[in-house]
Amino acid sequence: MIELHRVWKVFAVGPVKVPALSDVSFRIGKGEFVTLHGASGSGKTTLLRLLYREELPTEGDIDVLDLDVPSLRGREVAGLRRSIGVVFQDAKLLPGRTVYENVAFVLRVLGTPRREITPRVFDALRAVGLSARAQAYPAQLSQGEAQRAALARAIARKPLLLLADEPTGSLDETMAAEVIDIVKDIWAGGTTVLFATHQAAVAARLRQRTLTLVSGRLVKDEG
Amino acid sequence: MLGFLIGEAVRDLRRAGRVAVAAILLTTLSLAALGGFWLVSTNVGLAAARWRDRVRIIVYLRREPATADAQALVERVQAMPGVATVRYVSKSEALGTLKQVLGKDASVAEQLPTNPLPASLEVTLTAEGATPEAARGLIARLSTLNEADDIGGGIDWIERLARGRRLLDIIGLSVGAVLAVAAILTVTTATTLVLHLRRQELEIMRLVGASEVVVRLPLLLQGMLQGLVGAVMAIWVLIVAYTIAGPRLEPLVSQTLGLERLTFLSTQTVVVLMFAGTMLGGCGGWLARGRTEP
Repeated sequence: MIELHRVWKVFAVGPVKVPALSDVSFRIGKGEFVTLHGASGSGKTTLLRLLYREELPTEGDIDVLDLDVPSLRGREVAGLRRSIGVVFQDAKLLPGRTVYENVAFVLRVLGTPRREITPRVFDALRAVGLSARAQAYPAQLSQGEAQRAALARAIARKPLLLLADEPTGSLDETMAAEVIDIVKDIWAGGTTVLFATHQAAVAARLRQRTLTLVSGRLVKDEG
Repeated sequence: MLGFLIGEAVRDLRRAGRVAVAAILLTTLSLAALGGFWLVSTNVGLAAARWRDRVRIIVYLRREPATADAQALVERVQAMPGVATVRYVSKSEALGTLKQVLGKDASVAEQLPTNPLPASLEVTLTAEGATPEAARGLIARLSTLNEADDIGGGIDWIERLARGRRLLDIIGLSVGAVLAVAAILTVTTATTLVLHLRRQELEIMRLVGASEVVVRLPLLLQGMLQGLVGAVMAIWVLIVAYTIAGPRLEPLVSQTLGLERLTFLSTQTVVVLMFAGTMLGGCGGWLARGRTEP
């Protein structure tokens, strides 16, 4: 499902070269749930961005869903991303649209037939326990609800792979637990999950295989 | 999908607010100016065409030919390129015409000891012959006739009118072009503003794997929509101006151009203006798209 081989990512800040990832290699099989743990600035977000080709590696091989990610161009990138759901710490909901519209928006832009949109949106909202808040705007949601709406948006497309970038980073313990439970439910449905977090408690609560990044280096792969 | 994309374009247009309104107004202004000049030019062109039909070249003859010779001369001239009709006017017919023109003073002509007026040929031109070059060529050919004493008439003054019309076209196109550039830049600004407002949506669209067409088409459609609305408003402005000012200008138009009334733009021209407006807007949307390439 995911395979990284000796991946380096170096950012050039003027004349200074800053390595964000150094010689990272790992493999994640289909249907696995893997936690990516590391402090802020350890390279978690960069690693996830490499997987959905928002960034290109400086060196190394990246295979996702049997695709050689760095060599993808234009439509192939779009094709890869259609199979990947991504959620972020800040939810990234569109403020001028309701929860329903936020989820429906991604289905519409992907050309989903009109008659399929409403049932799929409500399936996704039910999965995250948010169907009663379908007509609420993002500003009317709690942080936990916003994150659940972002999860609904990610899973409405039925992705094969879910990349979660600190989805519990700004949530209190109760809300974080709700989000974790939802992500586990999604995984139980067959989706491969890579869950990035800087919170040791969250990593512990997930009780899954954990990759630990320190200053861009993969120092531990356990569980 | 197309419905969704058009819906997004309309939504974007509303979001651009005053900048979109400014872009629409500038498009209206540029196309109304262009259309206004076009309208005047069309009418000047109609007047020129009408006057061209009335052009005569007169071949004054050295002496009055015998009837058979006159007929042969008419046939020879008729065979020249660019000649539509040839009419022989005898000396007596010319004098008769003069008397008609003099009216109550016709007795002046009767006191003349001899008829001083020459016999002549009145030559009208075909459409191809009614150009300055063709007319000059015909005059040169007519001058070579042994029977010809002098040649009168020509179309130089109509050519001056045609030059005036061309000047009018150039002024119209220049003013329209300057305003069109301003309209394109304003549409570009409006679209760029929308891009800024939509950056989160565009980010989400790219993230979920939307095709570039879906990402960019609403921006192009938004620009085209602004241009189309501007063009429709420009045509409306022209119709209102024509309806109000047309009847009041009729006496002036009749005296100066010899036309009974001003003719409005043809359906084809209206369609061209609407198409031009839509393309202007599309151009603005396209430019904004190019500048914001991530």
